[in-house]
Amino acid sequence: MSSLLDASGLTFAYTDTPVLRDVALSLLPGEVVALLGPNGSGKTTLIRVLLGHLHVQGEICWDGRELNDWRRRDLARLVAYLPQSPTFDPAQRVIDVLRLGRAPYWQAFGIESSQDAEVVMRIAGMLELSDLLNRPMDRLSGGQRQRVFVGRCLVQQPKALLLDEPNTFLDLKHQIELCTLLRRLAAEQQITVLMASHDLNLAAAYANRLLLLSDGRIVRQGAADEVLQPELLSRVYGAALRRMETEDSHRPIIYSERPLPRQVP
Amino acid sequence: MKRWDIRQLLLTVGAGVLIWLVLGTLCLMIGSGSEGIWPANPDVRRFRLEIVLMASLVGAALGSAGTVYQAILQNPLADPYLLGISSGASLAAYIWRFTALSAGILAGVSQQGFAFGGALLAVALVFALSGARGRIEPLTLLLVGVIVNAVNGSIYLLLNAINRDLPGSGGGLTFLVGGLQTNVEQSQIVAAAVCVGIGWIILMSISGQLNVAMLSEGEAMSLGVRIQRLRWIGLIVSSLVTAAAVAVSGPIGFVGLVCPHLARLIVGQDQRRLLPISTALGAGLLAIADAASRKLAGQNAVNTQLPVGVLTGLLGGPFFLLLLWQTRRRAAR
Repeated sequence: MSSLLDASGLTFAYTDTPVLRDVALSLLPGEVVALLGPNGSGKTTLIRVLLGHLHVQGEICWDGRELNDWRRRDLARLVAYLPQSPTFDPAQRVIDVLRLGRAPYWQAFGIESSQDAEVVMRIAGMLELSDLLNRPMDRLSGGQRQRVFVGRCLVQQPKALLLDEPNTFLDLKHQIELCTLLRRLAAEQQITVLMASHDLNLAAAYANRLLLLSDGRIVRQGAADEVLQPELLSRVYGAALRRMETEDSHRPIIYSERPLPRQVP
Repeated sequence: MKRWDIRQLLLTVGAGVLIWLVLGTLCLMIGSGSEGIWPANPDVRRFRLEIVLMASLVGAALGSAGTVYQAILQNPLADPYLLGISSGASLAAYIWRFTALSAGILAGVSQQGFAFGGALLAVALVFALSGARGRIEPLTLLLVGVIVNAVNGSIYLLLNAINRDLPGSGGGLTFLVGGLQTNVEQSQIVAAAVCVGIGWIILMSISGQLNVAMLSEGEAMSLGVRIQRLRWIGLIVSSLVTAAAVAVSGPIGFVGLVCPHLARLIVGQDQRRLLPISTALGAGLLAIADAASRKLAGQNAVNTQLPVGVLTGLLGGPFFLLLLWQTRRRAAR
């Protein structure tokens, strides 16, 4: 299977110290990849570099074409991006946020086609947002709001989703719902998902592949079993970590070696 | 979902024209005395129509420019007057009228071109002084705008003191608060109308993308919008539209601030609907304000001619304070 993304030799620095050092990665159609690493390891920077938001040394090819050869509009039809804290106007209605996802397809004067309207309504139905379409954004729960933003990405009808810590503001139930949805999209529509995350266990449960980033380098990548090694993680995260496995699927679970205090003073 | 197609576009523009016609008629009623809405005397009729059309042109320009500034600066307090753009354009237009200059090296440059240069200079100055690490601080932006306004006003008063009899200057009061001149040449108004018309069509053509400009830069780029280019186009074209208008009126305040907010109450946040409606409200409301100013002057409610900027300032100032208070309250949450 040919890659959707091929990147190699990515080196980037905001100032003198490189944030990314000779990073190489590929993404296959329909795979869910979790990007792991401590704060400051370069996860967000890597995502922004892959989108062409930051100019970088190295090569990036999306769908076999050099990043610089892509027109912005065309790239937006291929790759959608969800930042850590998406921007929204509190008074904006859900439908208005969703239809922004069709911006790469609009004509001059913002004219929408009948397909634009059809896609927005279909995605709203798929994400169970149909009843909320006229509700202002500030009257949604955190989980609903995040679903709207994921919806905006899907309305772009992309082949790849780059998500920067999409679970940040979600409770456990909504985290599981979101990850299940991403797995479903990958399986059913062959959408590639690259998701930066701090939750090692959720990543182990839902990603096909894990990439561990430390100090701007990919220090290991592969299946959860290979990447979630306690010695490696303890070194990368600077914390004493241990590993156990679930009884049913032998999935690795990482936990802190230091016991939690029984009572909070 | 009602999709935004050619029909919706034409309907919205049509609704805008209707709003303007209603407000324009109301304005003729305010302006009329014993002669009724449509005076029999052709000279009075022509004068009244001209002044309503001129007020509408200036109001439309300020209403549309204000909408675009608020979108590209992501700031609900942005307005061509408060940002110092109007006064920059007015001052440049005034300098153009300096006989010595206009007869000399600058004779080939039109007044609108000069006003545009002044507007861009003011924008560049305001942005250079209020930006820090690539981010524009909204309150600093306004503060710098106020200072640029004050400096421009002082330069104007100085020039006015040197050369009192300059035709079309309209006196110091008009520059400071803005008012519609009756002694502007028709060719200047036609030039202004052409600039505003072309600029407005360009702004309408990017109105869809302006919705995306409300997002962060990264999000806008991943939605296929070249955000920096869009901001520049929005900034330059809005400044051109503002400059063309204020070259014939002086810096009239708050129309560009109030109209987008009123339009938002009517049609919501979508810039594609907002722009035509805000333009129509600007045209209609400024025409009404001007008629009201003339009525007050005509009835000797004031001793002398009352520039329309006095009324827009009296109504728009408190509105601005209310918005500022709301913005700060929202930020504190």
